[in-house]
Amino acid sequence: MGNKVILLGNEAIARGIVEAGCDVAVAYPGTPSSEILPAVAKYADELGTRTAVEWAVNEKVAFEVAATASFTGKRTCAIMKQVGLNVAADPLMSVAHFDLAGGFLIVSADDPGPHSSQTEQDSRYFAMFAKVPCFDPASAQEAKDMVFDAFDLSEKYHMPVMLRPAVRVDHCRQDVETGTVRDLARKADFKKDIRRWVCLPAHVKINHPQLNAKLDSVREDFETAFGRYNLEIPAKGKARIGIIASGVSFSIVMDLLKEWKREDVAILKIGTPHPLPVKMVEEFMARHDNLLVLEETYPVIEMQLPNRTKLKGRWNGFVPRAGELLPEVIRDLILNALGEPVPEEGVPELKAAIEEMKVTPKPPMLCPGCPHRASFFAMRKALPTGIYPSDIGCYTLGVNQRDVDTTIDMGASLTSASGFYLAYKTDGKDQPVVATIGDSTFFHMGILGLANAVYNRHAFVLAILDNSITAMTGGQSNPNVGEKLRQGDEGRRIEIEPVVRGCGVSFVKVVEPYDTADSAEVFKEAWEHAKANREPAVVILRHPCMLLRQKQARVKVRVNPDKCIGCKYCTNFFNCPGLPFDEGAKKARIDERFCVQCGVCIQVCPHGAIEAVEGEEA
Amino acid sequence: MQYIIVGLGGQGILFTSRVLGYIAVSRGERVMGSEVHGMAQRGGSVISHFKVGDYSSPLVLTGAADLLLSFDQNEGIRNLHFLRKAGHAILNVHAPEAMENPHLKSFLAERQIKAFCLPGYDILREKMEGRFLFMNALILGAMCGAGAGNLSIDEVSDAVEKLAPAKFRADNLKAVNLGYGHFAGK
Repeated sequence: MGNKVILLGNEAIARGIVEAGCDVAVAYPGTPSSEILPAVAKYADELGTRTAVEWAVNEKVAFEVAATASFTGKRTCAIMKQVGLNVAADPLMSVAHFDLAGGFLIVSADDPGPHSSQTEQDSRYFAMFAKVPCFDPASAQEAKDMVFDAFDLSEKYHMPVMLRPAVRVDHCRQDVETGTVRDLARKADFKKDIRRWVCLPAHVKINHPQLNAKLDSVREDFETAFGRYNLEIPAKGKARIGIIASGVSFSIVMDLLKEWKREDVAILKIGTPHPLPVKMVEEFMARHDNLLVLEETYPVIEMQLPNRTKLKGRWNGFVPRAGELLPEVIRDLILNALGEPVPEEGVPELKAAIEEMKVTPKPPMLCPGCPHRASFFAMRKALPTGIYPSDIGCYTLGVNQRDVDTTIDMGASLTSASGFYLAYKTDGKDQPVVATIGDSTFFHMGILGLANAVYNRHAFVLAILDNSITAMTGGQSNPNVGEKLRQGDEGRRIEIEPVVRGCGVSFVKVVEPYDTADSAEVFKEAWEHAKANREPAVVILRHPCMLLRQKQARVKVRVNPDKCIGCKYCTNFFNCPGLPFDEGAKKARIDERFCVQCGVCIQVCPHGAIEAVEGEEA
Repeated sequence: MQYIIVGLGGQGILFTSRVLGYIAVSRGERVMGSEVHGMAQRGGSVISHFKVGDYSSPLVLTGAADLLLSFDQNEGIRNLHFLRKAGHAILNVHAPEAMENPHLKSFLAERQIKAFCLPGYDILREKMEGRFLFMNALILGAMCGAGAGNLSIDEVSDAVEKLAPAKFRADNLKAVNLGYGHFAGK
């Protein structure tokens, strides 16, 4: 019998992956999926499995490495966040057509809300697009259980299977049953077969109808053999409403009904939204006149129904087409569907207090002492008329000090710089452009943009903000760090400078971002070089992330009230949580709750009002 | 029992729900919670939901929480609407005068909410050399001292001792006791 322990949803998924006998697990970090792979390594170490566990440089790489390992008959999985699946979309579409050997699981974690993403897209749509089956867990335990079924299903039909946990499953913490490892004792045995493993057009003509047939069989299985995930919870007596729900929306409905002590609601829970067990849903729909469908975030269940006009859903605007389905949203949707009064948010006094007290949500910011803040400050000081395309990582938070003008996706700082260069160049104008990218993102997708810019001779400055970690997602390793996840597993570090030079860049300088005067000089020099030579110039700003808590000199600072003229230059252009503006005194001040004594702000004040406190250097 | 724990990214909120979870499980109760990871943690507003008992979803409905633990005054005020009638709040307060806002007072009175305010930063500055990373242990101790949450100081101390990293164990326990002492017997 299993043992109950409290796990994060992502740990439960990882536990399932190891217990199910997965031999190769590859991922690229991204919220809300980041905790899965380190937990796979932890359980693999604890349980003594031989599982290979690796961070790949990006999701496409992770997908292809894991998918191909499954060609040998082993169980493998690729793990990513929803926008990571965009990066891996190319192999997803191809591999879906393959007649796989070992089980291949894709975990794509969605972020309705979104909380930490550039979109709130629905990976289940991708499952539909690629024609692969998809499980949609409603809890951590169910996510773990589904991992086993996904592997089994993948092996039954020789096709990839997706597990789509949304953020509330990834980051929920609950008691989960742990078990033992299913020892499959598989040996890698790649059987050469061109028809099977080479995606030629001629093979697609055979494989596509075969994929359709597989999907029909999976749908039949979902109709009949997956009652633990697709089930009806009937009303007591006549149901006043039938709710079709999947994922965490189902769990929220269950809690609401319990809170209300209501029994006049029937629920059809769908845990396998693609391919949808259509007969099961239609049969439920036939028995209810008032029907509501709750799923996150796109209308995947709705879209697969031949006739959805009877439903209260997204097609008719009843259910919001954007945003997370929070308990309050679901409560109001159910009450509206029932024609019952929606409770007033009866907190006018609290609202008035919040307004009077000017209490606002605090947006995320770069940490106090973050080297990126210093890098941005120097960049703007050197090239104040610049355009600053940036990238995905902590440094996107440079928007707070207006040092980030565009962000599209991973790697787009470079390609956006190219776009700006060309647009201004065709007018004959030399527009300074500084692209900012972190070390992990540089290896993820930056190198290609750099090679493109060198080849096409685009003049801009590339600032690589090297904090020697993948910081935003919680401190994962990357090629610039060189560490691997499993005990005793050694990686090799790749230095950034030779990679940049290898791409053909002739101007490469490394600076200490805390020295903003020096960095600013190098930024100016880099732009002059880029302009004169029509090529990208690279400045590497290297200082470890504050989250690594490395020892560094501490400089206690104070704001000299006699010198501070209240110009807000420091709050506008440096914007450190440790250096707020005191609206009462009309002066900047040090907030010791947040200040980490990095001392960089001394260089920031144009009036010399920020001073080191003598004799207090630690 | 439904908790809402709020503060700013980096204040150690996740540790608090781990402590609550440890205690509930050792009592043989089921737990469920929702945490914030990723970009939302970078110093911005952070909210953790935590439920003990037979629940299906990790999220707490507004107006249903029994207890609000707040590491930051503003975040605490912004999230008071989560509390049910006669719920309890433990608030780290850095500007106590702001708590005298008449609208705020009338909201608390209307909903019969008991708000326990403690000057967490002052306590940690005076008694723990300004190491604010022990705010989580301080708040947990304060919760016991205020008699909120139905958890004994022994259970909380025991859980903190088990879960804190060895080199911070003694300091965490000291912070728990400081928080407890702020309200206990007063």
